[in-house]
Amino acid sequence: MAEKKRAVRIYHRNLAMVLGLILLVFILIPVFVKSPYVLNVFVLVFYMSTLSMAWNLLGGMTGQNSLGHAAYMGLGAYACCLLITKTGANPWLAAIFGMVVVGLVAGIIFYPCFILKGPYFTLVSIAFGEALRQFIINSSFFGRASGIGLPFGKDSWLDFRFGSKVPYYYVGLIMVLGVYLLMKKIERSRMGYALRTIREDEDAAAAIGINPTRYKIMAVVVSAMVAALVGFFYASYIRYIDPELMVQAKSTESVLPAVVGGAAYVEGPLVGGLIMIPLSEFLRAKYSAILPGINMLMYAVALLAVIRFRPAGILGWYMHSNVKTFIDTKLLRKPSVDVLEEVELAQYHKEEV
Amino acid sequence: MSDSPIIEVQHITKRFKGLTAVKDVSFSIKEGAITGMIGPNGAGKSTTFNMICGYYPPTEGQIFFRGQDITSKKAHEYTNMKIARTFQIMKPLKNLSVLENVMASAYFGHAAAKNEREAKEKAMEVLQFTGLYEKRHVISKDMGTPDQKRLEMARALVTSPELLFLDENMAGLNPAETEAAIQLIRKINESGVTIFLIEHIMQAVVSLCEEVIVLHHGEKIAEGTPEQVMNDPYVMEVYLGTKKEDAAHA
Amino acid sequence: MSTFLQACVNGLLMGGFYSLMGMGQNVIFGVMKIVNFCHGEMLMVGMYLTYILWSVCGLDPYLCVPIVAVLMFCLGGLIQHTLITPSLGTKSFTNLLFLTVGLGLLLSNGALVLFGSEYRTITTAYSQTNIGLGPVTLPLPRLISFGVLIVISVALFAFLKYSTTGKQIRAVSQNSVGAEVVGINTKKIYILTYGLGTALAGVAGALLTGFYTIFPTAGASFGFRALIVVVVGGLGSIPGAFLAGIFLGLLETMVALFISPSYSDLIVFVTFIVILVVRQTVIIRRK
Repeated sequence: MAEKKRAVRIYHRNLAMVLGLILLVFILIPVFVKSPYVLNVFVLVFYMSTLSMAWNLLGGMTGQNSLGHAAYMGLGAYACCLLITKTGANPWLAAIFGMVVVGLVAGIIFYPCFILKGPYFTLVSIAFGEALRQFIINSSFFGRASGIGLPFGKDSWLDFRFGSKVPYYYVGLIMVLGVYLLMKKIERSRMGYALRTIREDEDAAAAIGINPTRYKIMAVVVSAMVAALVGFFYASYIRYIDPELMVQAKSTESVLPAVVGGAAYVEGPLVGGLIMIPLSEFLRAKYSAILPGINMLMYAVALLAVIRFRPAGILGWYMHSNVKTFIDTKLLRKPSVDVLEEVELAQYHKEEV
Repeated sequence: MSDSPIIEVQHITKRFKGLTAVKDVSFSIKEGAITGMIGPNGAGKSTTFNMICGYYPPTEGQIFFRGQDITSKKAHEYTNMKIARTFQIMKPLKNLSVLENVMASAYFGHAAAKNEREAKEKAMEVLQFTGLYEKRHVISKDMGTPDQKRLEMARALVTSPELLFLDENMAGLNPAETEAAIQLIRKINESGVTIFLIEHIMQAVVSLCEEVIVLHHGEKIAEGTPEQVMNDPYVMEVYLGTKKEDAAHA
Repeated sequence: MSTFLQACVNGLLMGGFYSLMGMGQNVIFGVMKIVNFCHGEMLMVGMYLTYILWSVCGLDPYLCVPIVAVLMFCLGGLIQHTLITPSLGTKSFTNLLFLTVGLGLLLSNGALVLFGSEYRTITTAYSQTNIGLGPVTLPLPRLISFGVLIVISVALFAFLKYSTTGKQIRAVSQNSVGAEVVGINTKKIYILTYGLGTALAGVAGALLTGFYTIFPTAGASFGFRALIVVVVGGLGSIPGAFLAGIFLGLLETMVALFISPSYSDLIVFVTFIVILVVRQTVIIRRK
């Protein structure tokens, strides 16, 4: 038993070391990389991955394929910017305000919409996003098509306003990590199990006592609030928003990291984001001036290739590959499931005594 | 074990756009017993079952659980009333392990687990009871039909029901597997759970049930002990009837 | 009064295109239960094909229609065979959804690479010809297009209703397993269906070229309207799709006339959401 415990301890230590090392690399990147262009790509990776994680809670975990997440993000950005420009509120407070507003809007609007299943839900989410965008274009309160700018000024943490990209890099990193931990927590909680049961079959979910509508509303509200947070971050970073932020194509872009990375996994959007966004940016920088459209064309080819040949996404493929077996056993020295479980249960008993 | 019925169904009727699937059916389920419902395909068994389980409301009639009217209760409120069900077509969380599947259910119902540890402990207990313990780390979609049927039962049992509805739990099993399933159902019943089941396999019904209800064309045509029912001339006719007689009752 | 009549006629003429797009989407959605998110891009491809045939071979845009139909049918069949059928096996709705989204990206950006972002138009001898009919004026190209698409709609309806292949398509859309059991080759029907849907979108594109500008994202607004038509008109119903398309066209022009042109999109989308939710509620109540 002692030996098994030691094996588990070693595994946990190795795992922590690897994860810590990855985190350290991300923390140190701005120290060594000074190019604003590269830092911008990372900031983009951070907020797009966060948005994709928000989508994944609803799409990947609950099986409700929304194609309107750009609308939540845009609405969040608008709520923040309007509060800041109209009342002079502090941006951090505005962020909370934006999340609450979007959470409420999503909860109320989608309450009747959840009777729609499968493709119909997707259609209503698209229509909702487009309707919202058209509403903003036609509303002088929202600044119509010309959008809203945030004031420029001296660097300040209080106003979340910087000339350099480094502070945004770190805030973005914290945001992506925080949302990742939240999603991980949800996955292992009652809500996570409820959502996955609903994804498999709503009747079966009801049979064990899950109220499908209630949990779907919870999922859409949390998902929309995270998207609103991304909207706040985007607005603070770019310092200008307009209705273009909410076009259909942006909603699609927010889903791609999850689909490419593996929508069944919480980590999917992170893996997909880390691969697809730098790829897209690289193609844009290198080719778009020579031949407009070639970057998105190659991006589309990459997407189709993943869906056609690795339908479970990159992570789905990794999870069943020899690479994982090799990394688990040789590098991390992962003990067998039985050993892990035995030690976990022993831990429970020790706590009881 | 009291004599009062745990479930009382009074005159339920279900019509789908003019088609009457179930017509004025009444019966009761005795607490602590195993009650079976049989009938040819299309007799309205599943419709009756789904009405009792809250999946669709009856057009007419009422359903009582321990004297309380539950006719309009929603399906998801049942585990809180200590009633659980399984599905004829297994609906596991395909990409999760058996243990995780059972844990998912452990989080709900009247005795819902409050945290991961409690869920895991409850799940382990039920897995041992249902004989799935050795396979707890298998991904559920990789298991064969018999084990998936067992998993269906385990997922229902982990919500600690006092009344369990089983929808054709032995369909597609070979004789040896059927026998194992019969043993398990008996074991569940002996642990104090009242059972109501739909079944096609006569061997199972005869050896398990105290009471049997026979449906045909949406109507109850007989009820009683398995022996009584099997010797009922009309039931024999329905099950073994010739073409001419079939036509007469159509 | 005359502006009202003119708006009615404009709505009717535009609505015909929504109908045609909706019918293609309807056949695909009915048979495979997938939303074809590149339907609008297929229309755009049809437009560019017509443009090439017109500028290179000097063909009249209306003579191009059958050629475009055949080419688009082959393209659709190829896509179905190589991409969609294999992915149908995974039973992942998300994947199928993004497969068509990816195809849309591929096609619109492919057009951008090949033709650039400039707007192109096809001019013919009769481009500017108008026909006066009482208080309303009808541009000749629109009128011809509308006539052609009525003929196509009727032909499609008859094809699905009376031909053996049409019956097979309807059988698969009602129950694909059952259809396979009675000996229908569902894979072949899938190819035929997707080819047919694509061809209809391509034809709509070809018919539009007479009076509509051609650019890489020209199909986007038609693509989503096709979905609205399917949902409002009812699954599997060709007459329903036709009426829904006309209704949508009229709704747009009426909103533009009586409220403001800038509100027409907003009202279309809101109407769509309301129809979807109300209809589903009615269905559930009836159960």
